[in-house]
Order: sequence, then C-alpha cells, then structure tokens
Amino acid sequence: MRLRNLALPGLFWLFVAYLFLPLLVMAAMGFRDSNFVAFPIHSWTTKWYGEVLLDRDVMEALWLSAKVAVASTVISVAVGLPVAFAVARTSGIARGLLIALILLPAFLPVVVSAISLRIFIGRIGLETGTAAIAFGHAVGSVPFVVIMVLTRLNTMGRNMADAARNLGADDVIILVRIVLPCLSPALLGAFMFCLLLSFEDFVRSFFLGGFEQTFPVLLFARLRFGFDPGLAAISTIVLIATTGFGLYAERFVRKRSLRSETSLTSGAKND
Amino acid sequence: MTSLLIHLRRFSVYRGLTDLYARSPLARLLIVSVVPLLWILGTTAAPLAQMVLVSFYESFPVAEGETARWTLANYASFFERPLYLTAFLRSFVFATIVTFLTLLVVFPIAYYIAKVAPRGRRTRLLLLVIAPFWVSEIIRSFAWIVMLANRGAVNSFLSLIGIPGTPVELLYNNISLTIGVIYLTSLYMLLPLYAALEKIDDNVLEAAANLGAPAWRRFLRIVLPLSRDGVVAGCSLVFLLVIGLYAMPQLLGGPGNTLFATTIGQIFAKAGASWPQGSAFSIILTGTALAYVGLFVAIFQRRGRGRT
Repeated sequence: MRLRNLALPGLFWLFVAYLFLPLLVMAAMGFRDSNFVAFPIHSWTTKWYGEVLLDRDVMEALWLSAKVAVASTVISVAVGLPVAFAVARTSGIARGLLIALILLPAFLPVVVSAISLRIFIGRIGLETGTAAIAFGHAVGSVPFVVIMVLTRLNTMGRNMADAARNLGADDVIILVRIVLPCLSPALLGAFMFCLLLSFEDFVRSFFLGGFEQTFPVLLFARLRFGFDPGLAAISTIVLIATTGFGLYAERFVRKRSLRSETSLTSGAKND
Repeated sequence: MTSLLIHLRRFSVYRGLTDLYARSPLARLLIVSVVPLLWILGTTAAPLAQMVLVSFYESFPVAEGETARWTLANYASFFERPLYLTAFLRSFVFATIVTFLTLLVVFPIAYYIAKVAPRGRRTRLLLLVIAPFWVSEIIRSFAWIVMLANRGAVNSFLSLIGIPGTPVELLYNNISLTIGVIYLTSLYMLLPLYAALEKIDDNVLEAAANLGAPAWRRFLRIVLPLSRDGVVAGCSLVFLLVIGLYAMPQLLGGPGNTLFATTIGQIFAKAGASWPQGSAFSIILTGTALAYVGLFVAIFQRRGRGRT
C-alpha cells in the first residue's frame, strides 16, 4: 500500500525530470569554455552569451520571427473572431461541416499543409518570404483561435445581450460593449498563444520562407552543420523568453477571466 | 465609446444598416458567413484542390502557352521505388508505436495530476508539466543532442560511474528519435487525458472501492472506459502530429530511417520539376493518415456506444 502511494508521485517527478533535465543540461552547455559541445565541463565562461548577442544573423532571425509572429497573430485573431461568431450562429450539419473545414488545417500533416500553401501562393502571385510565412502561420493558428473563442462564447449565455437589446442597444453596441469585453480573456489568450505558435513554427517557415530565415530555420540550418556552445547559449535565451512569456500569458489570462466576470457586472452599474 | 455609437445612430445610413442586420436573417447570414467562407476557400479548399490537380500534372509549373498534360505517373512512382514504400510503411509503424508509448507514459502522469494530487496543487503541477512545451521543436531536438551525443551528458555520466564501453552510440537511431518525439507529443496527449480524467466523479471510484473492487479492477472498469474520449482524442492528435514530423527526424533520427514526411519535404526541396510527384505523395500521406485515424476513432466510439 505504501509503495503504491509513492509510485504515482514518483512517476510524475520522473516525468518532470525527463522534461526539464535536457533543457538544463543544454543551458549549462552554453557556459562551456571550449569550441565543442561536449562533457564534462571543466572551465566555465559567459563569452558565448556575449558573442551570440553580437551575431547579426541570429539577431536578424529573431527580429524576423518577432515580426512574423505579430503579423500572423493579428491576422489569426481578426479572422478567427468572425469565424467563431459564424460557427456559433449555425447549427446541425452546417455547423459540423463548418467546424470540420475550419479545423482541417490543424489536422493535416504540417508538411502537407505547408507544401500546399507553397504551391498555392505562387498561383496567387505572392512571393516566398516574410508575408508568405505570416500567412502560413495564420493558417495554422486560426483553428486554435476559433476553438478558444467558441469555448468562451458557449459559456457566455445570451441574457446580457438580450437585456441590452431590450434597453435599445443595436447590434454594434452589443458587440462592442458586451460581447467583446466578455470575450477579452479568450481573445487575449488566443493572441498570446498565436504569438508562441508562430515563433516556434519551423515547417511552414522553412517551406514558405525566401532567403531570410526565422529563428527556428536558422537554428535548424546551423545544427545540421555542427554545434558549438554558442547555439546552446542562444537556445537558452530563447527558451527562457518563450517559457516566461507562456507562463505569464497563462497566469494573466486566468486572472483576467476571473476579473472580467466580476467587472462586467459592476462595470455595467457605473455606466 | 458607447456615446460615440449612440451618436452614430443619428445617421440614417448607420441606422439603416444595423436595422437591416437586425431584421433580415438573410443579411445576417451573408455578413456573418463572408469571412469564414473566404478563409476556408483561400487557405484550405483552393490550396488542397490545386495540390490534387498538380499531382496529376506531368510537369509544374506548366510552360507558357502550353496546356497541362495529365498523367498517373506521379502516383505510380510511389509503388515503383521500394525506397518510397518502405519510408511510407516505416512512418505508419513508427507513428503507431510512438502514439502507444506516449499514451503509456502520459496516462499515469495525467491521472496523478487529475485525481491523486491535492486539489489545490493541481493547477501548479499542470503548469509545471506544460511549461517546457513553449519551447520550439528545434531547440528541444538540440537539447536531446546535447544529452545523447557521444560526448554528451549521458555518456559522460556513464563513464563517470565507470561503465565500460563508453561512449555508447545513443544518437541518430530510432531510440533517440523516439525519446525526442515523445518529448514533443506528450502535451497533446496530456491535455485531452487530463480533461477526461478530471471529469470522472470521485464518488464512483470511492463506491467501487467500498464495494471491494481492487485497484486494477477500478482502473479497468471505471477509469479506462470513462476516459475513453480523452484517449481517443489524444491518440488521434499525437498520431497526426508524428506522421507529419519533418525537422526532428532529420536532427535526431538515423540516416537510414527516413520517414515519409521527410521524403516528401526532400522531393519539394529539389527543383520545381518534382512538385507533381511531391503533391501526389502528399495526397497519399494525407489520405491514408486521415483514413487510419478515422478508422481508429470509429472503432473505439462504436464499441463505447454498444456497451453503455
């Protein structure tokens, strides 16, 4: 009995070790004072971190990734929101079909999705490059935006919108004053999630990119040539940034969703 | 903001438009469905349709002033070279095995977080396990390279504790690839499993325990059937993710064990002349993968309905 009580927590912490140990080991490698990735580490240095921050290619790749992330996120949310409204209004077979078609890009093998877009953008006269990557990332992200907004819409209920309509509000006022504030935690969550999805994406960036490389594409190219501790250093910096951002987003969204429920009722009073 | 909108109501155009929207169901339907239909058309329907077309072309892009010539040779080439067929079969076997292993690894973890851990700590434990998934596939591949390389962390540790025969070749084979891929897939298994397990009523488990059901029977008769939806969803997601993997197999896998998605990617990375073949292979992969997963879902859902 004792042993069984320990087995599950034991497995859990073993799993946590499996998740974190490689990342910690990689972070340590970034401090190795040598040109090769190898253990054991005898002497330590912080020079790789300095060198990486001065590496033009790395900085340009990060900047491109950031630009693409913002652009694709704006597109994804702008498209995902009306799509979710449309899904919420349909029912029966139409709804099932609409959801299936909207979610399809998330279920296609990523390589296939990227390649089909690669062929297609040539047809519509778009060059490979930054705009194509942003478009490709948006294609991948919209399904997630739709799901997140729909989940929130389903729990929202119609009472407040109906009350506002009885008091003389038209659809635009209802949208701006009631529906969007209600959705704001979901939208914010979707926004941050899309930023991360885009920043991490490799396959779509790889097939849709021109000569400029996003950060994952640059890292992939360098890993194929050979490794030095500098790669570990820059990977660690990006890892800390994205994980921190993700945790912050998670916390922030959860807090917001609690607060918006209370503020919406009290805010209506103040108006 | 509200006052601005109220001010807008003075204009007859605005009033006319909002009234039209409010009164006419047809107008509402049209306005609401414009964005979804355009998006589906422009990002899913048209690209896939074009891919299907291209897969029957003799060459692409079609030369100026010529009409496209149609052929089945692109599909035939899939069966002609054993190289392609083995990569294809290897992909399916690999994805199936990895999906099953992910389920085995993640189930106890999800169960622990959802049912065993103290209620107040669940969110924190879940976040702890989710946190590493905000790191990209490439960085995580690199982390495993640092772990498993000949002079990597594991080999260094093994020789430190005096195990003979180091370095052991750990990298660039199916085992290193599996370890890395499970690292990638466990989140997609964890979230559906957690959602399903969390919904199971504790009272049911307690009642079963009080009536004398041992742990394995409670697991087989209650936990497993009630979490079936999560298992099916998680396995489907993970399988489709693995079958489309492109980067990690190239970084962690062996050179002799090419997976089909990588093959497709390499065909595309060549000159444009090979695009029809790549399109045909993409369609073969997508069709079979979706059919495979669809069959899996159908079998498990039907069985579930029959029993209850």
